[in-house]
Amino acid sequence: MKPSKLGVRLVQISIMVFLVLLMVLPFLWMLSTSLKSQQYILQTTPQLIPDPLTFESYTQLADRVNLGRTFFNSTFVALVTMVGQLVISSMAAYAFSRMEWRGRNTLFVLYLATMMIPSVVLVIPQFILVRSLGWVNSYAALIIPSLSSAFGTFLLRQFFMGLPKDFEEAAFIDGANYFTIFWRVTLPLAQPALATLAIFSFMGSWNAYLWPLFAARREEVMTLPIALATLQAGPRALTEWNMVMAGSVVSVIPILVVYLLAQRWFVQGVVSSGIKG
Amino acid sequence: MSKKLLSILVVLLLALTSLMSTVAQEVTLRYFTFSAAPDYLEELDTIIAGFEAENPGITIEVSTASFADYFTLLQADVVSGSAPDVFELNYESFVTYAANGALADISAYLNSDAPYYPRALEAFQYDGVQMALPGTFSTVLLFYNADLFDAASVEYPTDSWTWAEATAAAEAITALGDDTWGLFSPVQFWELYKKAGQNGECEFFNAEMTESTINSSACVETLETMVGFMESGIMPTQAQLSGVSDSELFLSGKLGMLVTGIWMFGAFAEADFAWDVEIEPAINQNANHFFANGVAVSSTTANPEAAALWAQYLTASETAATVRVEASWELPALDKPEYFEAYLAQTPPNNRAAVFKALENPVTPPVIERQNEMQDGINALITQVIDGELSAQEALDQAKTLLDSLIQ
Repeated sequence: MKPSKLGVRLVQISIMVFLVLLMVLPFLWMLSTSLKSQQYILQTTPQLIPDPLTFESYTQLADRVNLGRTFFNSTFVALVTMVGQLVISSMAAYAFSRMEWRGRNTLFVLYLATMMIPSVVLVIPQFILVRSLGWVNSYAALIIPSLSSAFGTFLLRQFFMGLPKDFEEAAFIDGANYFTIFWRVTLPLAQPALATLAIFSFMGSWNAYLWPLFAARREEVMTLPIALATLQAGPRALTEWNMVMAGSVVSVIPILVVYLLAQRWFVQGVVSSGIKG
Repeated sequence: MSKKLLSILVVLLLALTSLMSTVAQEVTLRYFTFSAAPDYLEELDTIIAGFEAENPGITIEVSTASFADYFTLLQADVVSGSAPDVFELNYESFVTYAANGALADISAYLNSDAPYYPRALEAFQYDGVQMALPGTFSTVLLFYNADLFDAASVEYPTDSWTWAEATAAAEAITALGDDTWGLFSPVQFWELYKKAGQNGECEFFNAEMTESTINSSACVETLETMVGFMESGIMPTQAQLSGVSDSELFLSGKLGMLVTGIWMFGAFAEADFAWDVEIEPAINQNANHFFANGVAVSSTTANPEAAALWAQYLTASETAATVRVEASWELPALDKPEYFEAYLAQTPPNNRAAVFKALENPVTPPVIERQNEMQDGINALITQVIDGELSAQEALDQAKTLLDSLIQ
């Protein structure tokens, strides 16, 4: 490599390292705060590497919040929502992209228009509906309202539209029906888009706050973000930041795991659909 | 029909009726609270156990929410027609709920011997009807770091201090170091109406409640005093606090005086410096916050009598009062000095008597039906004054226009 090229490369790498540090620093800070005791958190000369290092905030967290139960609830709700959204959105997207029927485009536009209604506006009507169905404080209230996703349908429809029709036509000639083609041809080709939607829907469900706050008030069905919010003291007390951060560390882990598992397809999905992550 | 058969039938019938009446007596009440979680759930359980022992057949089912989320959830419950049977309300929200018909008239079920402070009881009447019971009260005091006062060689605050003396002490403490501050006194709605009380001439509304008088020269002067603490450099701005809360700053030993509530006694007990409290300094006269939380019965409850019984037990029984006092979980609004002896004996602070001295000049918040809009509107305008976008006069002129429209 010529010296000038080496110089350019060095500059590029240092810019990237700087950007990586910028992204990673808040997470490191979170981890570091979770390993400090309360009195060291607000020191005027902050320390990144905790001294003394302690795990007391994690043990305290387990005492204050029913960590096992809420962690299970969050995981269960997020996984079921994710699978449900994948199934429903992919079938809807297939119908919108590959099947010809009257009113298809009008319905699709109407379907998309639902994305423009802010979810906050829908909370009270949805709550009244769920309440009259007797679903409050149940998994049904947490899962069913978010099973259909206009965003997911849109994402997958655009991806399906970009797939060459030739494979499907070949399958038709071989005598396959719509469902066989959907299942054997379209879905396997759409893995990157499905992985992308899987991550978005898992993250969306995992981080959801407002709706679970209304729908799941009992500990048996409470999700992790709601339980962690109880650690954040109101204006009338002091917040134990080390515990809040310990809770945040715990809640980031599943997202990391899902992301690492789906990463290979995720990047491809984002590139080919043109949607930012 | 043979006599034997008849008697068997009668016995069966009797058994059935008695069974049915026991079934009818089994009542489950839903109670919704913000003040218990997360620190006082055990104390609440003790109070519930006491109530259930005295009232067999009534079960209390508690749900809790943090103060930040509580009123959102309560509102959703009320509009969806599934309000909890009994719920907590702060004084500011009380009128909104009473005026909208969400609360039951509980006068008929009240035990007239209950030792409430008469003034506190009156606070929870709407149109002369008892719509809730006063549960607890709290007040705000001047907390001071005695070590910083010693270091700056200034005298400790007294109950006859004015803000001029407090400012002088704050200047001496601020001079101790770059990261040390003399005073923190919040600049927002709740402070404004109290400092207005200390001014004595500033009122938010005229006596007939037909017009707002919040832009009077006395009110402008009051707001200027409040913002002036920041401008003169004795009090940190939000930017200078950079995310550290005022209480955290005090606890770190870098703040000379803090105006905050008695609910911080517990959190400050762990401070590694000497601190004490005094009633707030006066502008022209003394005035101190009187915050009250009430307990209300829903107008849609199926069991108003049982619900009122629980509301009364929670607010006026000796069990509830002693449990609260011993745990420093706010103070019962009861005229029973003997309940408070244990409270006064605890230290720090040494001068706990200031809590009761503060009640000699209580100020309650101005309350209108559209309370939230008033609080949010005034807070937004005050923020603009702090940021230098509006002068105090301009902000309060706009506040008057807002308040006039809200009371129409």
